[in-house]
Amino acid sequence: MAAAEADADLVARCRAGDVNAFETLYRQHAPRLHALATRMAGSPQDGEDLLQEIFLQAYRKLGSFKGDAALGTWLYRLAVNHCLDHVRSRQAKMGRMTGTLDDDPAHEPAAPRDTPVARLDLERAIRQLPDGCRAAFVLHDVEGLDHREVANLLGIAEGTSKSQVFKARMKLRAILK
Amino acid sequence: MHPDELAINGYVDGALGPDEAAGVERHLEGCAACRELVADLRQIGQAAAALGPTEPPAGVWANLERTIRAEGPPARGTGPSTWPWLAAAAALILATAVGLRVGPLAPKPAAPPAADASDSRATAQSVAAELQQAEQHYQKAISGLEQIANAEQGTLDPRTAATLQKNLAVVDQAISESRAALKTEPTSEPAQQSLLDSFKTKIALLQDTVALINEMRKGNDAGAARIVSGLKPKG
Repeated sequence: MAAAEADADLVARCRAGDVNAFETLYRQHAPRLHALATRMAGSPQDGEDLLQEIFLQAYRKLGSFKGDAALGTWLYRLAVNHCLDHVRSRQAKMGRMTGTLDDDPAHEPAAPRDTPVARLDLERAIRQLPDGCRAAFVLHDVEGLDHREVANLLGIAEGTSKSQVFKARMKLRAILK
Repeated sequence: MHPDELAINGYVDGALGPDEAAGVERHLEGCAACRELVADLRQIGQAAAALGPTEPPAGVWANLERTIRAEGPPARGTGPSTWPWLAAAAALILATAVGLRVGPLAPKPAAPPAADASDSRATAQSVAAELQQAEQHYQKAISGLEQIANAEQGTLDPRTAATLQKNLAVVDQAISESRAALKTEPTSEPAQQSLLDSFKTKIALLQDTVALINEMRKGNDAGAARIVSGLKPKG
């Protein structure tokens, strides 16, 4: 069965109230969206809450899925938007905007790295980033979106996206030393 | 002078033009600090790109499964393009109710002292007729809202639905009591007021129900939570 037909079949079964079909959809896509949500939120607990909200929203919106995009793409967009809403609302609550580069170690020389970056160390370091530059970093460096796409999603200028990613990389470098 | 952040970033990402890239490379040949910086940033970028999916804890699916089983199948054609009808229907029904002329409730001038028994009977009949008319309008609005709310009741989680039902039962009880009081004393203004207030409360409650269904359908948990927080048990 082609991917589009498999998607359509799965969606049709979910719409008919087949919980097993929705579980199949969940198992297929949850690991990628869990990673995205946890990294964007900067907290495993928030990542779990976001993942649950994302799939609940997806379940309720399945009726509006028209198959114009692949199911995975539709879910991914929904997840990115939900994560960004979460980050924005947290920023608004904390009255904290995306940081500037002023407090960065920037070009100060640091001891050279002689070991590859360990995955778990990097995951932990990403959690320590400020919300704004973390979102840009995750979308650009982890998710592989280009700066234009990141800028569109975050509602910032492309140059700001580049600055935020640079800031995140510099902070990570300092944390990982 | 060190290349600026955009140049370093662009160089690390391979996004510079040949001339600019050559300029950065010339600088790197003579600057150990920038060479280390570029090497570190490349390593971080490569490690980030290699970060893969992560398995969520089993509890996430367990919670989701409970919720969606309680909700039932997702509605067909849900989404922003099809659901505003609920809000529109509720607004129309409200307009009908608000547009009522509830004359008998306005403070009435005291009856002239010379009024005889037949005048009192005529007044009582006229008040009863106007009240009946007002009640019919309210009932029309209520049944329209009830139709929407009942058709979509499955959208609500069982606890919220139970709270709404409990509140509606309390309001229905108040309506029955006001009717009983009016039967005994048809011209009692407090009883009239109480009956019409109960109708208004019921309409407001049904409107909250429809608004809540709308928010749930849109997946707007924050909006739904705001409405639910206003649904405190009555009575």
